[in-house]
Order: sequence, then C-alpha cells, then structure tokens
Amino acid sequence: MSLLVFYLFAAIAVLAALGMVVLRNPVHSALSLALVFVSLAAMYVLLSAPFIAVAQVMIYAGAILILFVFVIMLLSPGTDQGVGALKAQRGLAILFGAALLVLLIAVLGGAVLPPTRGTFTPEAIAAEGDTQAVGALLFTNFLLPFEITSILLLVAIVGVIVLAKKRQSISKQ
Amino acid sequence: MLISPELILAIFGMLVLVVDLIGRARTREWLPWVTVLGFVLAFAATLYIWGSNASIFAGMYSVDMFSLFFKLLATIAGTMIVLVSIDYLRGRTTRQGEFFSIFTFSILAMTMMASSASLLMIYLSIEFLSYTSYLLTGFLREDKKSNEAALKYFLYGAITSAVMLYGLSLLYGVSGSLNLTDIATAFANTVDPSVRTVALVAPALVLAGLGFKISLVPFHQWAPDAYEGAPTPVTAFLSVGPKAVGFAILLRVALTTLPIYQASWIPLLAVISIITMTLGNLVALRQTNIKRLLAYSSIAQAGYMLIGLVGVNLTGNSPFSGLNGVLIYLFAYLFTNLGAFICVIAIENATGAVNIADYAGLVRRAPFVAALFIIFFLSLAGIPPTAGFIGKFFVFGAALREGFLTLAAIGVINSIISVFYYFAVIRAAFFLDAKDPSPIRITPLVTAMLTVTAAMVLLIAVYPQPLFNLAAWSMGMFGVVK
Repeated sequence: MSLLVFYLFAAIAVLAALGMVVLRNPVHSALSLALVFVSLAAMYVLLSAPFIAVAQVMIYAGAILILFVFVIMLLSPGTDQGVGALKAQRGLAILFGAALLVLLIAVLGGAVLPPTRGTFTPEAIAAEGDTQAVGALLFTNFLLPFEITSILLLVAIVGVIVLAKKRQSISKQ
Repeated sequence: MLISPELILAIFGMLVLVVDLIGRARTREWLPWVTVLGFVLAFAATLYIWGSNASIFAGMYSVDMFSLFFKLLATIAGTMIVLVSIDYLRGRTTRQGEFFSIFTFSILAMTMMASSASLLMIYLSIEFLSYTSYLLTGFLREDKKSNEAALKYFLYGAITSAVMLYGLSLLYGVSGSLNLTDIATAFANTVDPSVRTVALVAPALVLAGLGFKISLVPFHQWAPDAYEGAPTPVTAFLSVGPKAVGFAILLRVALTTLPIYQASWIPLLAVISIITMTLGNLVALRQTNIKRLLAYSSIAQAGYMLIGLVGVNLTGNSPFSGLNGVLIYLFAYLFTNLGAFICVIAIENATGAVNIADYAGLVRRAPFVAALFIIFFLSLAGIPPTAGFIGKFFVFGAALREGFLTLAAIGVINSIISVFYYFAVIRAAFFLDAKDPSPIRITPLVTAMLTVTAAMVLLIAVYPQPLFNLAAWSMGMFGVVK
C-alpha cells in the first residue's frame, strides 16, 4: 500500500517538476513547484517523518513559494517567449538528457539494494518522538552543518542586498 | 581549538560587515586590512594546530594534515587576493565592506571543504563556496558582463550540484552512512553486485559537482564566461581557490572512500584528464582576451593535476606517489596563476585593457610586468627553472611510475602546445610596437604582490625541499588508510 502511495506521489513530483520547467507562464511554474513540494511532503510522511513533512509544507510551499508568487506578480513579466537562437541546443540537450536517463535506468534499474536501516527506524522514532529526534540531532551530531547554514543564510542576505539594493553613485564613496 | 581557523574567519567575516556599517569613510579604508588580519590570524591558527589528526563533530569534520595543507593554501590565496583587490575595487564599487565580507566567507568555505569528511559537509561546504563565488562574480552590478558571468555560473552550478546531490544520495542509500570512512567500510564488507554497481555510478555523478569546481571537461563551459566577466581579482580567486579545494574533496573521496574501486575510476579519470588538457590548450590557442586565455589555460592545468591522481600509488616509499605531485602542483600553481592574474590586474588597473592586442609594446610601457609575465608563463608551461616545472615533474613522474606512458606523453605534448599561446602574449609584449607608448604606472601594493609571487615561483624551483616536506606531511594520513 505505502509503495503504491510512493509511486503515486513520485509520479506527481516528477510531472510537476517537468511542468515547472516547461510551462511558459511563470505563475503556472510556481504552482507546479508548489505541487512538487507537497508531493515531497507526502513522501516524508511515508518515511514516518511528519515533522519534516509539515516543515516542508509550511516553509517551502507556504513561505517561500508565496514569496515567489508575490515577486512574479509585482514584476508581471508576462509569458516567456522562448529562446529562438538556442533551438539547436535544445534538441541536443534533450538528446543528451534522454541518453543520461536511459543510461542511469539501465545501470541502476536492475540494482537491488540491501535494506540498510539506520538508527532511526519507525519504532525508534515512535518511542522518542519525531520532533524530539530532529531537534536532538540538530544540536548534537549535526551541530556543525546547522551552524554553517546560519552563516550561509547571512551571506545570502548580504548578497541579495548587494545585488538588488538601489544603486549608489560610485563617486559618493 | 581544532576549528580555530574557521572560527577566526567566521568572526572576521562578520567583523568586516560591522566595521563597514558603523565606520565612517576613513575607517572604511581599513576594511581590506581587517580582512587581511583575519587571514593572517587564521593562517597562524592553522600553524598552531599543525600536526593534529582529529575527527570532530561526530566524524563529520576531519582536522588532519591534509586539510591543514589546504587551509594554509586558502589563507595565503585570500591574503594575496585581498591585497590586489584594493586598487582594483576603487572606483568600481561602493560596497567594499560587503565584498571583503563575502570574500572572507568564501575562504571560510574553502577551509571547510578541505576538512569535510561527511557527505553532508561536502555538499554544504561546496554550496557555500559556490554561493559566495556567484556573488563575487556578479559583484559589479553596473557591468553587464559581470552580471552575465554570474548568471551563467549560477545556472551551471545549480545543475551540477543537483547531479552531485543525486550521486551523494545514492552513496548514502547503498552504505547507510554519510561518513566517508564508514562508507568505505560498508563497501569493503559487501559482495553484493548491486552495491558495486551503485558504487561505480554514484561517484561518477558526484564527479559532475567536483568537476564543475575544478573545471574539468566536460564541466568547464562556465569557466571562460565567468572568468571574463568577473572582477579580475575574483577571476584570480576562481582560478585557484575552488580548484584547489575541489581537488581536496576529490582526493579525499577517491583515497578514503573508493580505494577498493581504484581499478575502475582510474581509466575514467585518465580519459577526463586527457580531454581536459587537450581541449583547454587547443581552445586557448584561439583566444584574444587575456582573461579567457587564462581561463582555458587553467582548465588545461586542471587536466595536468588530474594526472597525479591517475598515477596515485601510496604503497612503497617512492618519491612519486602521485598524491604528493598533486599537492606540489597545486602549491606551485597557486603562486604562478595568481602572479599571472596580478600582472593582468596591474595592466587593467592602469589602462582598463584586457585584450592581448593591447599588450603590444608592454616591455617599454611596463618593463617590470612584462618581465614577470615571462616568469609566470614559463612556470605555467612547466619550463625550468620555475615552480611549474617541479609540479609537472612530479605528476608526470607518477604517471610514468605507474606505467601510464601514453598519458604522460600526451601531458608533455600538451605542455608544448601551451607554450605557443603563452608566448603569443610574450611576443606581443616584447616584439610588437605599442599604439600608445606612454608608460603604465603600477601601484606599490600590486608591485609588492607581483614581487612576492614571482619570488615564490623561483624560490620553489631552486629550493623545493620545504614544499616536498609539506606535501609529504600532508599526505601521511592516507598512507595509514591504505
């Protein structure tokens, strides 16, 4: 049953991701992206990680995507007319992309991986509590990546200000 | 104390922002020097923890001699690039505080890449370095080329990082661990053919992300455009920084996680090395812009460095272990390529010219720069008595020792090809007449940095023993793993 649900949401996620790239109207792209996020959240539920699933919906589908839509509406860029000069490249890109896909399916499709089970089995999570497990890991084993991410976000904020803030005249130094 | 270099860099990155925020115009003049102070302290901290071999943060972060080597390299590169940025940025941007802050964080990202011993840290630090690099590349907002460069770099980087992430997820999936040594153990303890298949495919996908950082063919297309459009000190940084630490992760993954599959990845890397150096050198022949020429040249250089990894053999006590070749090459390349770019910066600061045609008659306009161009280009081509020769000697030597005669021969042929385009620049500088014979004024700071890099290039060639020792210490830990 859960395998069926997985395939369902995997298919939705892949199709929505394709739609995000292919659709010409930016609002449609943004909505496709929302669909990708929601189907990913469904997969986190399947993996007995409801906290991550809710965070996924709230942060990505909620906050970030709404921001995207705001930006799109404020800029109202209209529909993308496509890139005429790169038609030949598009054909080649599809060809090579498809070749890579076929290659990966051919090589990895037959691989049956051993069922490796980490420390956090559904039973262990049920005993400790999902949110508690995430919190404890963030501040123990994954402390360093957690802190580095905060610096990375600082860099991103500074970078956005540099790239987007109103120009100052250079002579004003 | 083991992460003191990283802490110092993080603190100084924020300190620069604060000084910029509360300081007046006069205090802002000090920003680059605050940044340099941070790098010097981080360099000293690295020397202070010299000799440590520890695994911290639940095995995620490895503070060993190998990583310390790259931390030294990162802080040296950072110091020199900040010092040559001062004159370059004047009049080009008002946001020097943000520039130096982001730059400090990019050096922080480099030091973290050098120490990453877990798939998560590898991905996070690569992304960190990528984002700072995109920002620095597009930093000159008013310059269309800078914008274009950043956008191309970003789009290319986003795709390769997605491919790499897929590879990393497969590695985690088959081994059940994020830790590089645990993954190696999981691979060694299995006879499952499926695991073997995935263990061969997944690193190839990861190579897309690393190849992007190192600019290996076929992941190199961003390099010429990004190099051409980026502010020239940033170009100098891109050509040495990400490349060096990209190699750090490539070497670490190859030698700690995948040594049992060595027979499989060596042919792949040999082919990539051949096409990287050949394509880089052949396309460089046709360039007219010096930054694009050096971009293709740096692609070719990555190909030579990869020869060292192809010829790697850590058993026995041979002076040609391949690994030491890569480290020596990287160190020699750091000073050589930075020196070549500082020459470009010196000319660009004074005249704004970046085309090889504009270098005509350089010997009369700026004899010092013209003379140093010869040293750096000799070194890039690998002709003695320069540091580049020592680097090439050790990587080609390793390939010969392992019996890769064709690979070494192709490397030598490529070095000869490279002489043509390097000397096209020198020919313009020495034998063509200048349209405008007025002398070019070189600022004292740039002159000083040119002297330092040129001295290092020659010093490494005449007295290489300290560098040999440095490389030997740095690779000690891999001998244990084997």
